[in-house]
Amino acid sequence: MNYREYVVAAYAVFAIVLLWDYVVPKLQARAALRAARLRATRAATRKAPPELQR
Amino acid sequence: MNLPPTNRPAPNGLIRWFHQLGSPPYFDRFAARWAPWAHLLALLTMGIGLYGALFQVPADYQQGDSFRILYIHVPAAWMSMAIFALMGVYAAIALVWRIKLCEILAMACAPTGAAFTLVTLATGSIWGKPMWGTWWDWDPRLTTELILLFLYLGVMGLYAAIDDRRDAARAAGFLAIVGVALLPVIRWSVVWWNSLHQGQTIRLFGESSMDPSMVWPLLWMIVGTKLWFAGSLLNRARADNLRRETGKDWVAKLAGATP
Repeated sequence: MNYREYVVAAYAVFAIVLLWDYVVPKLQARAALRAARLRATRAATRKAPPELQR
Repeated sequence: MNLPPTNRPAPNGLIRWFHQLGSPPYFDRFAARWAPWAHLLALLTMGIGLYGALFQVPADYQQGDSFRILYIHVPAAWMSMAIFALMGVYAAIALVWRIKLCEILAMACAPTGAAFTLVTLATGSIWGKPMWGTWWDWDPRLTTELILLFLYLGVMGLYAAIDDRRDAARAAGFLAIVGVALLPVIRWSVVWWNSLHQGQTIRLFGESSMDPSMVWPLLWMIVGTKLWFAGSLLNRARADNLRRETGKDWVAKLAGATP
């Protein structure tokens, strides 16, 4: 194959960009769910009555 | 209190489904279910296309094997413009009817559209070096495609810059609608001006000036990139939908938070 390095470079760019396009929204969704979990935990902690009431 | 019966007919399944899709939890389930299938089908389709492009199609008599870059450059270029047009449609619907899901979908188009535009510019540049003898030229087609990338980045930047998600989507959506005016300029730039970039050689409807034996992998790649975009759109819209709805019970339940 002539111009092999150009063909390889072009296909590598394509693969890397598609990989980025796949991974980023997955990470964003995971971060949003983690934020929701932390928020729910904080809300539950605030609602819980103190252990000792004098 | 008994309400009087109405004469309104029951909505048909498609209309009911369309309305249900506007519900954030329903859309989340829909996107989580179908995005992996779209990506899987895209990988299969593009796999066939890439196999044909790299191993089956003969080398071009003038360009040699460098012409194989075309099989990713052309579908990416078409996607870069098609996604911008779709983003404009979603943004217009969101502005007129204030449909939240359309705002989310419009904004979810931008990063994937920018990715395809980047692929178009990068692969064109890599092809241009051995064929034109230069990585870049301020040619009308290349320059307008670069402006398209800046428009995508502008939409993404504007959406990220405003705290209120709905205001941000409206402002960025307006930019997307205005930006649609660039699409015909890109499309006909090779006709309107003297361009180093070649004219139209591939036609989906009509005779291409490319040999038929070289066309079939391109068709697989065109279908594959569209399926890929469908998967990415669902994934990105789902992530934004979850981020907007973080405080809601259904998201907390989905995240596995203990009540």
